[in-house]
Amino acid sequence: MARRPSVHSDREKPAASFARAVVAITWKDLAAEFRSRELFSAMLVFSLLVILIFNFALELDIRTRQSVTAGVLWVTFAFAGTLGLNRSMSIEKDQGSLDGLLLAPVDRSAIYFGKVFSNLTFMLIVEAIVLPVYSFLYNVNLLRPGLLLILLLGSVGYIVVGTLLATMAVQSRSREVLLPILLFPVVIPVLIAAVKASGGFLTGDEAINIRPWINLLLVYDLIFTAIAFMVFDYVVEE
Amino acid sequence: MQAKPTSLRALDLVAIAVLIVAAYLALVYAPEEAVMGQVQRVFYFHVATAWTALLGFIAAGVAGVAYLATKDEKWDIVEIAAIEISLVFFLITIVLGSIWARPIWNTWWTWDPRLTTAAVTELIYIAYFMLRQGIEDPGRRARFGAVYTIIGAVSAPITFFAIRLFRTIHPVVIGSGDPSAQGTFAMAPGMKLAFFFALFAFTIIFVDLFWNRILMGRLAARVEQLKLNLMR
Amino acid sequence: MNYAVLPQDTTPDTSGYMVAGYVIFAVIMAIYIVSFLARGRNLERDLSTLETMKAESKAMTPHPPRKRAVRKAKPERTRAGTRGQTRRRGAGRR
Repeated sequence: MARRPSVHSDREKPAASFARAVVAITWKDLAAEFRSRELFSAMLVFSLLVILIFNFALELDIRTRQSVTAGVLWVTFAFAGTLGLNRSMSIEKDQGSLDGLLLAPVDRSAIYFGKVFSNLTFMLIVEAIVLPVYSFLYNVNLLRPGLLLILLLGSVGYIVVGTLLATMAVQSRSREVLLPILLFPVVIPVLIAAVKASGGFLTGDEAINIRPWINLLLVYDLIFTAIAFMVFDYVVEE
Repeated sequence: MQAKPTSLRALDLVAIAVLIVAAYLALVYAPEEAVMGQVQRVFYFHVATAWTALLGFIAAGVAGVAYLATKDEKWDIVEIAAIEISLVFFLITIVLGSIWARPIWNTWWTWDPRLTTAAVTELIYIAYFMLRQGIEDPGRRARFGAVYTIIGAVSAPITFFAIRLFRTIHPVVIGSGDPSAQGTFAMAPGMKLAFFFALFAFTIIFVDLFWNRILMGRLAARVEQLKLNLMR
Repeated sequence: MNYAVLPQDTTPDTSGYMVAGYVIFAVIMAIYIVSFLARGRNLERDLSTLETMKAESKAMTPHPPRKRAVRKAKPERTRAGTRGQTRRRGAGRR
Protein backbone atom coordinates (compact mmCIF):
# COMPACT_ATOMS: atom_id res chain seq x y z
CA MET A 1 0.00 0.00 0.00
CA ALA A 2 1.39 3.40 -0.87
CA ARG A 3 2.58 5.79 1.78
CA ARG A 4 -0.20 7.90 3.15
CA PRO A 5 0.13 11.37 1.73
CA SER A 6 1.51 13.58 4.46
CA VAL A 7 0.24 17.11 4.69
CA HIS A 8 2.45 19.80 6.06
CA SER A 9 0.09 22.64 5.58
CA ASP A 10 2.45 25.32 6.73
CA ARG A 11 5.27 24.24 4.51
CA GLU A 12 3.52 22.82 1.47
CA LYS A 13 0.98 24.55 -0.74
CA PRO A 14 -2.45 22.89 -0.61
CA ALA A 15 -2.43 22.36 -4.36
CA ALA A 16 0.81 20.45 -4.13
CA SER A 17 -0.47 18.20 -1.35
CA PHE A 18 -3.69 17.66 -3.27
CA ALA A 19 -1.72 16.64 -6.33
CA ARG A 20 0.43 14.31 -4.26
CA ALA A 21 -2.67 12.69 -2.80
CA VAL A 22 -4.13 12.15 -6.24
CA VAL A 23 -0.88 10.64 -7.51
CA ALA A 24 -0.60 8.42 -4.44
CA ILE A 25 -4.08 7.02 -4.91
CA THR A 26 -3.63 6.50 -8.63
CA TRP A 27 -0.31 4.83 -8.02
CA LYS A 28 -1.76 2.55 -5.34
CA ASP A 29 -4.33 1.25 -7.80
CA LEU A 30 -1.92 0.89 -10.67
CA ALA A 31 0.64 -0.89 -8.54
CA ALA A 32 -1.96 -3.26 -7.12
CA GLU A 33 -3.27 -3.99 -10.55
CA PHE A 34 0.19 -4.52 -11.94
CA ARG A 35 0.69 -7.26 -9.39
CA SER A 36 -2.60 -9.03 -9.76
CA ARG A 37 -3.78 -8.00 -13.23
CA GLU A 38 -7.24 -9.33 -12.41
CA LEU A 39 -9.21 -6.28 -13.44
CA PHE A 40 -7.23 -5.70 -16.53
CA SER A 41 -7.33 -9.25 -17.82
CA ALA A 42 -11.06 -9.45 -17.16
CA MET A 43 -11.70 -6.27 -19.14
CA LEU A 44 -9.43 -7.33 -21.95
CA VAL A 45 -10.76 -10.83 -22.40
CA PHE A 46 -14.29 -9.53 -22.15
CA SER A 47 -13.67 -6.95 -24.86
CA LEU A 48 -12.19 -9.51 -27.21
CA LEU A 49 -15.11 -11.83 -26.63
CA VAL A 50 -17.57 -9.04 -27.34
CA ILE A 51 -15.80 -8.22 -30.59
CA LEU A 52 -16.00 -11.88 -31.49
CA ILE A 53 -19.69 -12.03 -30.72
CA PHE A 54 -20.31 -8.96 -32.83
CA ASN A 55 -18.73 -10.75 -35.72
CA PHE A 56 -21.53 -13.25 -35.64
CA ALA A 57 -24.28 -10.98 -34.42
CA LEU A 58 -23.76 -8.38 -37.12
CA GLU A 59 -22.66 -9.27 -40.58
CA LEU A 60 -19.33 -7.46 -40.43
CA ASP A 61 -18.66 -7.96 -44.09
CA ILE A 62 -16.37 -5.56 -45.81
CA ARG A 63 -19.02 -3.04 -46.70
CA THR A 64 -20.97 -2.88 -43.44
CA ARG A 65 -17.74 -2.81 -41.50
CA GLN A 66 -17.12 0.77 -42.50
CA SER A 67 -20.32 2.03 -40.99
CA VAL A 68 -20.54 -0.10 -37.89
CA THR A 69 -16.95 -0.28 -36.69
CA ALA A 70 -17.25 2.84 -34.56
CA GLY A 71 -20.44 1.55 -32.97
CA VAL A 72 -19.05 -1.91 -32.29
CA LEU A 73 -15.95 -0.46 -30.67
CA TRP A 74 -17.83 1.89 -28.40
CA VAL A 75 -20.39 -0.67 -27.30
CA THR A 76 -17.49 -2.96 -26.43
CA PHE A 77 -15.72 -0.27 -24.45
CA ALA A 78 -18.87 0.79 -22.68
CA PHE A 79 -19.51 -2.72 -21.40
CA ALA A 80 -15.90 -3.46 -20.56
CA GLY A 81 -15.70 -0.11 -18.82
CA THR A 82 -18.58 -1.11 -16.59
CA LEU A 83 -16.71 -4.26 -15.57
CA GLY A 84 -13.61 -2.28 -14.72
CA LEU A 85 -15.46 0.38 -12.77
CA ASN A 86 -17.42 -2.12 -10.77
CA ARG A 87 -14.37 -4.11 -9.88
CA SER A 88 -12.30 -1.08 -9.06
CA MET A 89 -14.80 0.34 -6.60
CA SER A 90 -15.76 -3.03 -5.16
CA ILE A 91 -12.17 -3.67 -4.26
CA GLU A 92 -12.07 -0.43 -2.33
CA LYS A 93 -15.21 -1.26 -0.47
CA ASP A 94 -14.38 -4.88 0.27
CA GLN A 95 -10.92 -4.18 1.56
CA GLY A 96 -12.18 -1.31 3.61
CA SER A 97 -9.55 0.85 2.01
CA LEU A 98 -12.18 3.41 1.13
CA ASP A 99 -12.70 4.03 4.81
CA GLY A 100 -8.98 4.26 5.29
CA LEU A 101 -8.69 6.81 2.54
CA LEU A 102 -11.51 8.80 4.03
CA LEU A 103 -9.64 9.06 7.30
CA ALA A 104 -6.65 10.54 5.56
CA PRO A 105 -6.25 14.30 6.02
CA VAL A 106 -6.80 14.91 2.37
CA ASP A 107 -9.53 16.55 0.36
CA ARG A 108 -12.18 14.00 -0.57
CA SER A 109 -12.03 14.98 -4.18
CA ALA A 110 -8.41 13.88 -4.31
CA ILE A 111 -9.72 10.38 -3.79
CA TYR A 112 -12.11 10.93 -6.63
CA PHE A 113 -9.48 12.15 -9.05
CA GLY A 114 -7.10 9.40 -8.02
CA LYS A 115 -9.73 6.81 -8.83
CA VAL A 116 -10.61 8.54 -12.08
CA PHE A 117 -7.02 8.47 -13.24
CA SER A 118 -6.51 4.83 -12.38
CA ASN A 119 -9.83 3.76 -13.92
CA LEU A 120 -9.07 5.82 -16.98
CA THR A 121 -5.67 4.25 -17.31
CA PHE A 122 -7.11 0.76 -17.24
CA MET A 123 -9.71 1.65 -19.82
CA LEU A 124 -7.18 3.28 -22.13
CA ILE A 125 -4.83 0.33 -21.90
CA VAL A 126 -7.62 -2.05 -22.81
CA GLU A 127 -8.56 0.17 -25.74
CA ALA A 128 -4.95 0.33 -26.80
CA ILE A 129 -4.88 -3.43 -27.07
CA VAL A 130 -8.29 -3.91 -28.62
CA LEU A 131 -7.62 -1.46 -31.44
CA PRO A 132 -4.77 -3.34 -33.07
CA VAL A 133 -6.56 -6.64 -32.54
CA TYR A 134 -9.66 -5.32 -34.27
CA SER A 135 -7.54 -3.85 -37.03
CA PHE A 136 -5.90 -7.21 -37.47
CA LEU A 137 -9.10 -9.25 -37.45
CA TYR A 138 -11.04 -7.00 -39.79
CA ASN A 139 -8.31 -5.50 -41.89
CA VAL A 140 -9.18 -1.93 -40.99
CA ASN A 141 -6.64 0.63 -39.98
CA LEU A 142 -7.77 1.93 -36.61
CA LEU A 143 -4.55 3.52 -35.51
CA ARG A 144 -5.33 7.03 -36.63
CA PRO A 145 -4.63 10.12 -34.48
CA GLY A 146 -8.17 11.47 -34.84
CA LEU A 147 -9.64 8.23 -33.62
CA LEU A 148 -7.21 8.09 -30.74
CA LEU A 149 -8.24 11.59 -29.69
CA ILE A 150 -11.88 10.57 -29.66
CA LEU A 151 -11.06 7.47 -27.65
CA LEU A 152 -9.40 9.65 -25.09
CA LEU A 153 -12.15 12.26 -24.87
CA GLY A 154 -14.91 9.68 -24.83
CA SER A 155 -13.19 7.54 -22.21
CA VAL A 156 -12.65 10.57 -20.00
CA GLY A 157 -16.34 11.46 -20.07
CA TYR A 158 -17.34 7.88 -19.45
CA ILE A 159 -14.95 7.35 -16.55
CA VAL A 160 -15.58 10.71 -14.91
CA VAL A 161 -19.28 9.98 -14.55
CA GLY A 162 -18.76 6.25 -14.13
CA THR A 163 -16.42 6.58 -11.16
CA LEU A 164 -18.89 8.80 -9.34
CA LEU A 165 -21.83 6.53 -10.03
CA ALA A 166 -19.84 3.39 -9.24
CA THR A 167 -19.02 4.85 -5.84
CA MET A 168 -22.74 5.09 -5.19
CA ALA A 169 -23.67 1.77 -6.75
CA VAL A 170 -21.17 -0.13 -4.67
CA GLN A 171 -22.77 1.22 -1.50
CA SER A 172 -26.20 -0.04 -2.42
CA ARG A 173 -27.67 -3.49 -1.98
CA SER A 174 -27.71 -4.33 -5.67
CA ARG A 175 -24.07 -3.30 -6.23
CA GLU A 176 -22.70 -4.36 -9.61
CA VAL A 177 -26.03 -4.70 -11.32
CA LEU A 178 -26.92 -1.13 -10.61
CA LEU A 179 -23.97 0.59 -12.27
CA PRO A 180 -24.91 0.08 -15.94
CA ILE A 181 -28.49 1.05 -15.15
CA LEU A 182 -27.35 4.29 -13.58
CA LEU A 183 -24.56 5.01 -16.02
CA PHE A 184 -25.84 4.29 -19.50
CA PRO A 185 -28.74 6.76 -19.66
CA VAL A 186 -26.58 9.65 -18.54
CA VAL A 187 -23.58 8.76 -20.67
CA ILE A 188 -25.56 8.62 -23.92
CA PRO A 189 -24.24 11.97 -25.19
CA VAL A 190 -20.70 10.61 -24.90
CA LEU A 191 -21.62 7.50 -26.82
CA ILE A 192 -23.44 9.40 -29.54
CA ALA A 193 -20.64 11.92 -29.98
CA ALA A 194 -17.86 9.33 -29.75
CA VAL A 195 -19.47 7.02 -32.28
CA LYS A 196 -20.22 9.80 -34.72
CA ALA A 197 -16.79 11.35 -34.42
CA SER A 198 -14.97 8.01 -34.59
CA GLY A 199 -17.02 7.05 -37.60
CA GLY A 200 -16.20 10.38 -39.18
CA PHE A 201 -12.47 9.83 -38.75
CA LEU A 202 -12.67 6.31 -40.05
CA THR A 203 -14.55 7.20 -43.18
CA GLY A 204 -12.41 10.28 -43.77
CA ASP A 205 -15.27 12.69 -43.27
CA GLU A 206 -14.71 16.43 -43.48
CA ALA A 207 -13.55 18.20 -40.35
CA ILE A 208 -16.60 20.42 -40.34
CA ASN A 209 -18.82 17.42 -39.68
CA ILE A 210 -16.63 16.03 -36.94
CA ARG A 211 -15.88 19.23 -35.09
CA PRO A 212 -19.31 19.60 -33.42
CA TRP A 213 -18.99 16.13 -31.94
CA ILE A 214 -15.57 16.89 -30.53
CA ASN A 215 -16.97 20.06 -29.03
CA LEU A 216 -19.80 18.11 -27.48
CA LEU A 217 -17.35 15.68 -25.91
CA LEU A 218 -15.24 18.50 -24.54
CA VAL A 219 -18.27 20.26 -23.09
CA TYR A 220 -19.54 17.07 -21.51
CA ASP A 221 -16.15 16.22 -20.04
CA LEU A 222 -15.70 19.67 -18.55
CA ILE A 223 -19.20 19.97 -17.14
CA PHE A 224 -19.22 16.57 -15.53
CA THR A 225 -15.72 16.81 -14.13
CA ALA A 226 -16.82 20.00 -12.43
CA ILE A 227 -20.03 18.47 -11.13
CA ALA A 228 -18.32 15.32 -9.90
CA PHE A 229 -15.71 17.41 -8.13
CA MET A 230 -18.46 19.31 -6.34
CA VAL A 231 -20.65 16.40 -5.32
CA PHE A 232 -18.17 13.64 -4.56
CA ASP A 233 -18.04 14.61 -0.90
CA TYR A 234 -21.72 13.82 -0.54
CA VAL A 235 -21.23 10.40 -2.00
CA VAL A 236 -18.63 9.23 0.51
CA GLU A 237 -19.99 10.89 3.61
CA GLU A 238 -20.65 8.58 6.48
CA MET B 1 -52.22 11.44 11.49
CA GLN B 2 -52.41 14.22 9.00
CA ALA B 3 -55.76 15.25 7.63
CA LYS B 4 -55.80 16.53 4.11
CA PRO B 5 -56.03 20.31 4.02
CA THR B 6 -59.32 21.58 2.60
CA SER B 7 -57.52 23.56 -0.08
CA LEU B 8 -56.02 20.34 -1.35
CA ARG B 9 -59.39 18.64 -1.36
CA ALA B 10 -60.68 21.56 -3.37
CA LEU B 11 -57.75 21.27 -5.74
CA ASP B 12 -58.52 17.58 -6.25
CA LEU B 13 -61.98 18.52 -7.45
CA VAL B 14 -60.67 21.33 -9.63
CA ALA B 15 -58.15 18.95 -11.19
CA ILE B 16 -60.84 16.45 -12.06
CA ALA B 17 -63.00 19.20 -13.47
CA VAL B 18 -60.33 20.68 -15.71
CA LEU B 19 -59.38 17.22 -16.92
CA ILE B 20 -62.95 16.62 -18.05
CA VAL B 21 -63.12 19.99 -19.76
CA ALA B 22 -59.76 19.44 -21.44
CA ALA B 23 -60.89 16.05 -22.69
CA TYR B 24 -64.08 17.56 -24.05
CA LEU B 25 -62.20 20.31 -25.85
CA ALA B 26 -59.72 17.85 -27.28
CA LEU B 27 -62.19 15.16 -28.30
CA VAL B 28 -65.27 17.08 -29.29
CA TYR B 29 -64.75 20.81 -29.57
CA ALA B 30 -61.53 20.98 -31.56
CA PRO B 31 -62.01 20.51 -35.29
CA GLU B 32 -60.70 17.44 -37.01
CA GLU B 33 -57.32 17.84 -38.61
CA ALA B 34 -57.61 17.22 -42.32
CA VAL B 35 -54.43 15.36 -43.09
CA MET B 36 -54.08 13.17 -40.03
CA GLY B 37 -57.64 12.56 -38.99
CA GLN B 38 -58.86 11.91 -35.50
CA VAL B 39 -55.59 10.60 -34.15
CA GLN B 40 -54.27 14.13 -34.11
CA ARG B 41 -56.47 14.73 -31.05
CA VAL B 42 -53.99 12.85 -28.89
CA PHE B 43 -51.57 15.66 -29.61
CA TYR B 44 -53.24 17.96 -27.06
CA PHE B 45 -52.59 15.62 -24.16
CA HIS B 46 -49.26 14.53 -25.61
CA VAL B 47 -47.79 18.02 -25.55
CA ALA B 48 -49.47 19.02 -22.30
CA THR B 49 -48.05 16.07 -20.41
CA ALA B 50 -44.65 16.64 -22.01
CA TRP B 51 -44.54 20.23 -20.87
CA THR B 52 -45.61 19.51 -17.32
CA ALA B 53 -43.29 16.53 -17.04
CA LEU B 54 -40.51 18.88 -18.06
CA LEU B 55 -41.51 21.25 -15.25
CA GLY B 56 -41.29 18.31 -12.86
CA PHE B 57 -37.89 17.47 -14.23
CA ILE B 58 -36.62 20.97 -13.52
CA ALA B 59 -38.26 21.02 -10.09
CA ALA B 60 -36.47 17.78 -9.24
CA GLY B 61 -33.11 19.21 -10.25
CA VAL B 62 -33.66 22.28 -8.13
CA ALA B 63 -34.77 20.14 -5.20
CA GLY B 64 -31.67 17.98 -5.55
CA VAL B 65 -29.35 20.96 -5.33
CA ALA B 66 -31.39 22.37 -2.47
CA TYR B 67 -31.16 19.13 -0.55
CA LEU B 68 -27.40 18.92 -0.84
CA ALA B 69 -27.11 22.54 0.19
CA THR B 70 -29.43 22.41 3.19
CA LYS B 71 -29.69 18.69 4.11
CA ASP B 72 -33.29 19.46 4.92
CA GLU B 73 -35.41 16.37 4.34
CA LYS B 74 -38.27 18.37 2.89
CA TRP B 75 -36.27 18.89 -0.31
CA ASP B 76 -35.80 15.16 -0.61
CA ILE B 77 -39.55 14.67 -0.34
CA VAL B 78 -40.14 17.33 -3.00
CA GLU B 79 -37.56 15.67 -5.23
CA ILE B 80 -39.16 12.24 -5.08
CA ALA B 81 -42.60 13.69 -5.69
CA ALA B 82 -41.43 15.67 -8.71
CA ILE B 83 -39.65 12.70 -10.24
CA GLU B 84 -42.45 10.24 -9.64
CA ILE B 85 -45.10 12.41 -11.26
CA SER B 86 -42.80 13.50 -14.05
CA LEU B 87 -42.18 9.81 -14.71
CA VAL B 88 -45.90 9.09 -15.08
CA PHE B 89 -46.43 12.12 -17.31
CA PHE B 90 -43.47 11.38 -19.55
CA LEU B 91 -44.77 7.84 -19.90
CA ILE B 92 -48.06 9.23 -21.16
CA THR B 93 -46.16 11.58 -23.48
CA ILE B 94 -44.15 8.75 -24.96
CA VAL B 95 -47.11 6.43 -25.42
CA LEU B 96 -49.31 9.09 -26.99
CA GLY B 97 -46.44 10.19 -29.20
CA SER B 98 -46.01 6.63 -30.36
CA ILE B 99 -49.72 6.20 -31.04
CA TRP B 100 -49.74 9.44 -32.98
CA ALA B 101 -46.75 8.41 -35.05
CA ARG B 102 -48.03 4.99 -36.05
CA PRO B 103 -50.84 5.84 -38.49
CA ILE B 104 -49.17 8.97 -39.78
CA TRP B 105 -45.64 7.82 -40.50
CA ASN B 106 -46.17 4.08 -40.37
CA THR B 107 -43.69 3.66 -37.56
CA TRP B 108 -44.07 3.22 -33.83
CA TRP B 109 -41.02 5.28 -33.06
CA THR B 110 -39.47 8.25 -34.80
CA TRP B 111 -36.20 8.77 -32.89
CA ASP B 112 -36.92 12.45 -32.90
CA PRO B 113 -34.93 14.41 -30.31
CA ARG B 114 -37.81 15.30 -28.01
CA LEU B 115 -39.37 11.88 -27.86
CA THR B 116 -36.04 10.12 -27.52
CA THR B 117 -34.87 12.46 -24.79
CA ALA B 118 -38.15 11.83 -22.98
CA ALA B 119 -37.44 8.11 -23.17
CA VAL B 120 -33.89 8.55 -21.91
CA THR B 121 -35.17 10.73 -19.07
CA GLU B 122 -37.66 8.02 -18.25
CA LEU B 123 -34.80 5.55 -17.94
CA ILE B 124 -32.94 7.97 -15.70
CA TYR B 125 -36.00 8.18 -13.46
CA ILE B 126 -36.30 4.42 -13.26
CA ALA B 127 -32.61 4.16 -12.43
CA TYR B 128 -33.18 6.79 -9.75
CA PHE B 129 -35.80 4.70 -8.01
CA MET B 130 -33.68 1.59 -8.29
CA LEU B 131 -30.80 3.41 -6.69
CA ARG B 132 -32.91 4.64 -3.80
CA GLN B 133 -34.46 1.26 -3.31
CA GLY B 134 -31.09 -0.34 -2.66
CA ILE B 135 -30.04 1.98 0.15
CA GLU B 136 -31.27 1.61 3.68
CA ASP B 137 -29.86 4.59 5.47
CA PRO B 138 -32.29 7.48 4.89
CA GLY B 139 -29.63 10.16 4.91
CA ARG B 140 -27.48 8.37 2.38
CA ARG B 141 -30.50 7.56 0.27
CA ALA B 142 -31.45 11.21 0.10
CA ARG B 143 -27.90 12.31 -0.70
CA PHE B 144 -27.43 9.74 -3.43
CA GLY B 145 -30.82 10.57 -4.84
CA ALA B 146 -29.92 14.22 -4.99
CA VAL B 147 -26.56 13.53 -6.64
CA TYR B 148 -28.11 11.30 -9.28
CA THR B 149 -30.89 13.79 -9.91
CA ILE B 150 -28.32 16.48 -10.58
CA ILE B 151 -26.34 14.26 -12.92
CA GLY B 152 -29.49 13.22 -14.73
CA ALA B 153 -30.80 16.77 -14.92
CA VAL B 154 -27.60 17.99 -16.54
CA SER B 155 -27.15 15.10 -18.92
CA ALA B 156 -30.69 15.03 -20.34
CA PRO B 157 -30.48 18.41 -22.10
CA ILE B 158 -27.05 17.45 -23.45
CA THR B 159 -28.62 14.25 -24.79
CA PHE B 160 -31.32 16.33 -26.44
CA PHE B 161 -28.76 18.51 -28.21
CA ALA B 162 -26.69 15.51 -29.19
CA ILE B 163 -29.66 13.84 -30.84
CA ARG B 164 -30.69 17.05 -32.50
CA LEU B 165 -27.19 17.47 -33.86
CA PHE B 166 -27.35 13.87 -35.03
CA ARG B 167 -30.53 14.68 -36.86
CA THR B 168 -29.35 17.88 -38.48
CA ILE B 169 -26.53 15.97 -40.03
CA HIS B 170 -28.75 12.99 -40.75
CA PRO B 171 -32.25 14.37 -41.11
CA VAL B 172 -34.00 11.15 -42.05
CA VAL B 173 -36.47 9.70 -39.63
CA ILE B 174 -35.13 6.26 -38.98
CA GLY B 175 -37.93 3.76 -39.28
CA SER B 176 -40.02 5.63 -41.76
CA GLY B 177 -39.24 6.71 -45.24
CA ASP B 178 -40.71 10.14 -44.73
CA PRO B 179 -37.98 12.78 -44.28
CA SER B 180 -40.42 15.41 -43.13
CA ALA B 181 -41.74 13.46 -40.17
CA GLN B 182 -41.90 16.24 -37.65
CA GLY B 183 -45.57 16.50 -36.93
CA THR B 184 -46.20 20.15 -37.65
CA PHE B 185 -49.57 21.29 -38.82
CA ALA B 186 -51.44 24.54 -38.84
CA MET B 187 -53.69 25.02 -35.82
CA ALA B 188 -57.21 26.28 -36.26
CA PRO B 189 -58.58 28.54 -33.48
CA GLY B 190 -60.59 25.68 -31.98
CA MET B 191 -57.42 23.66 -31.84
CA LYS B 192 -55.54 26.47 -30.17
CA LEU B 193 -58.11 26.64 -27.41
CA ALA B 194 -57.95 22.90 -26.83
CA PHE B 195 -54.17 23.05 -26.87
CA PHE B 196 -53.73 25.84 -24.37
CA PHE B 197 -56.46 24.62 -22.12
CA ALA B 198 -54.84 21.19 -22.03
CA LEU B 199 -51.57 22.82 -20.98
CA PHE B 200 -53.41 24.68 -18.23
CA ALA B 201 -55.34 21.61 -17.12
CA PHE B 202 -52.32 19.37 -16.88
CA THR B 203 -50.41 21.97 -14.93
CA ILE B 204 -53.22 21.96 -12.39
CA ILE B 205 -53.32 18.17 -12.37
CA PHE B 206 -49.57 18.06 -11.89
CA VAL B 207 -49.67 20.46 -8.97
CA ASP B 208 -52.52 18.49 -7.41
CA LEU B 209 -50.72 15.16 -7.72
CA PHE B 210 -47.48 16.81 -6.61
CA TRP B 211 -48.96 18.22 -3.44
CA ASN B 212 -50.66 14.94 -2.62
CA ARG B 213 -47.41 13.11 -3.21
CA ILE B 214 -45.54 15.43 -0.90
CA LEU B 215 -48.03 14.75 1.88
CA MET B 216 -47.55 11.06 1.31
CA GLY B 217 -43.80 11.53 1.36
CA ARG B 218 -43.99 13.21 4.74
CA LEU B 219 -46.08 10.34 6.02
CA ALA B 220 -43.56 7.85 4.69
CA ALA B 221 -40.73 9.73 6.36
CA ARG B 222 -42.51 9.60 9.70
CA VAL B 223 -43.23 5.92 9.35
CA GLU B 224 -39.62 5.19 8.56
CA GLN B 225 -38.42 7.30 11.44
CA LEU B 226 -40.69 5.42 13.82
CA LYS B 227 -39.46 2.10 12.47
CA LEU B 228 -35.86 3.10 12.97
CA ASN B 229 -36.55 4.33 16.47
CA LEU B 230 -38.35 1.20 17.51
CA MET B 231 -35.56 -0.97 16.23
CA ARG B 232 -32.94 0.69 18.42
CA MET C 1 -60.27 28.12 -40.77
CA ASN C 2 -57.20 26.96 -42.55
CA TYR C 3 -57.78 23.41 -43.59
CA ALA C 4 -55.76 22.10 -46.45
CA VAL C 5 -58.16 19.58 -47.90
CA LEU C 6 -57.14 18.49 -51.33
CA PRO C 7 -60.05 17.38 -53.49
CA GLN C 8 -58.56 14.02 -54.29
CA ASP C 9 -57.65 13.19 -50.64
CA THR C 10 -60.06 12.13 -48.00
CA THR C 11 -59.11 12.38 -44.40
CA PRO C 12 -57.98 8.96 -43.24
CA ASP C 13 -59.98 7.35 -40.49
CA THR C 14 -57.56 7.21 -37.62
CA SER C 15 -60.16 7.34 -34.88
CA GLY C 16 -59.20 3.86 -33.71
CA TYR C 17 -55.80 5.18 -32.75
CA MET C 18 -57.33 8.17 -31.06
CA VAL C 19 -59.50 5.96 -28.91
CA ALA C 20 -56.53 3.75 -28.09
CA GLY C 21 -54.57 6.81 -27.07
CA TYR C 22 -57.17 8.17 -24.72
CA VAL C 23 -57.94 4.77 -23.27
CA ILE C 24 -54.27 4.15 -22.54
CA PHE C 25 -54.04 7.59 -20.99
CA ALA C 26 -56.96 6.77 -18.72
CA VAL C 27 -55.49 3.39 -17.83
CA ILE C 28 -52.11 4.82 -16.91
CA MET C 29 -53.67 7.52 -14.77
CA ALA C 30 -55.98 5.02 -13.12
CA ILE C 31 -53.16 2.63 -12.32
CA TYR C 32 -51.11 5.43 -10.88
CA ILE C 33 -53.90 6.81 -8.73
CA VAL C 34 -54.88 3.38 -7.46
CA SER C 35 -51.30 2.57 -6.54
CA PHE C 36 -51.03 5.98 -4.93
CA LEU C 37 -54.07 5.45 -2.77
CA ALA C 38 -52.99 1.92 -1.89
CA ARG C 39 -49.55 3.12 -0.81
CA GLY C 40 -51.15 5.85 1.26
CA ARG C 41 -53.41 3.38 2.96
CA ASN C 42 -50.52 1.06 3.74
CA LEU C 43 -48.54 3.90 5.22
CA GLU C 44 -51.45 4.98 7.40
CA ARG C 45 -51.80 1.44 8.62
CA ASP C 46 -48.08 1.15 9.30
CA LEU C 47 -48.18 4.42 11.16
CA SER C 48 -50.96 3.35 13.51
CA THR C 49 -49.29 -0.03 14.09
CA LEU C 50 -46.00 1.61 14.87
CA GLU C 51 -47.57 4.15 17.14
CA THR C 52 -49.32 1.37 19.05
CA MET C 53 -46.05 -0.51 19.34
CA LYS C 54 -44.30 2.58 20.53
CA ALA C 55 -46.96 3.23 23.17
CA GLU C 56 -46.71 -0.37 24.34
CA SER C 57 -42.94 -0.32 24.58
CA LYS C 58 -43.08 2.90 26.52
CA ALA C 59 -45.65 1.41 28.89
CA MET C 60 -43.43 -1.59 29.54
CA THR C 61 -40.24 0.36 30.16
CA PRO C 62 -41.23 3.60 31.79
CA HIS C 63 -37.84 5.29 31.47
CA PRO C 64 -36.13 3.86 28.43
CA PRO C 65 -32.46 4.79 28.15
CA ARG C 66 -32.12 7.39 25.50
CA LYS C 67 -29.02 6.82 23.46
CA ARG C 68 -29.55 9.25 20.69
CA ALA C 69 -27.29 10.98 18.29
CA VAL C 70 -27.28 14.74 18.48
CA ARG C 71 -30.39 16.10 16.88
CA LYS C 72 -30.35 19.21 14.77
CA ALA C 73 -33.40 21.44 15.16
CA LYS C 74 -35.92 20.62 12.52
CA PRO C 75 -37.78 23.32 10.64
CA GLU C 76 -41.21 23.67 12.08
CA ARG C 77 -43.88 21.59 10.44
CA THR C 78 -47.50 22.29 11.12
CA ARG C 79 -49.53 19.15 11.06
CA ALA C 80 -53.19 19.70 10.65
CA GLY C 81 -55.19 17.53 13.00
CA THR C 82 -52.47 16.22 15.33
CA ARG C 83 -53.75 13.51 17.57
CA GLY C 84 -54.08 14.66 21.12
CA GLN C 85 -51.21 16.12 22.98
CA THR C 86 -48.61 13.43 22.41
CA ARG C 87 -45.53 15.05 20.99
CA ARG C 88 -43.53 12.97 18.55
CA ARG C 89 -40.11 12.85 20.03
CA GLY C 90 -38.93 10.43 17.45
CA ALA C 91 -39.94 12.59 14.56
CA GLY C 92 -36.79 14.67 14.55
CA ARG C 93 -34.50 13.73 11.75
CA ARG C 94 -31.17 15.08 10.90
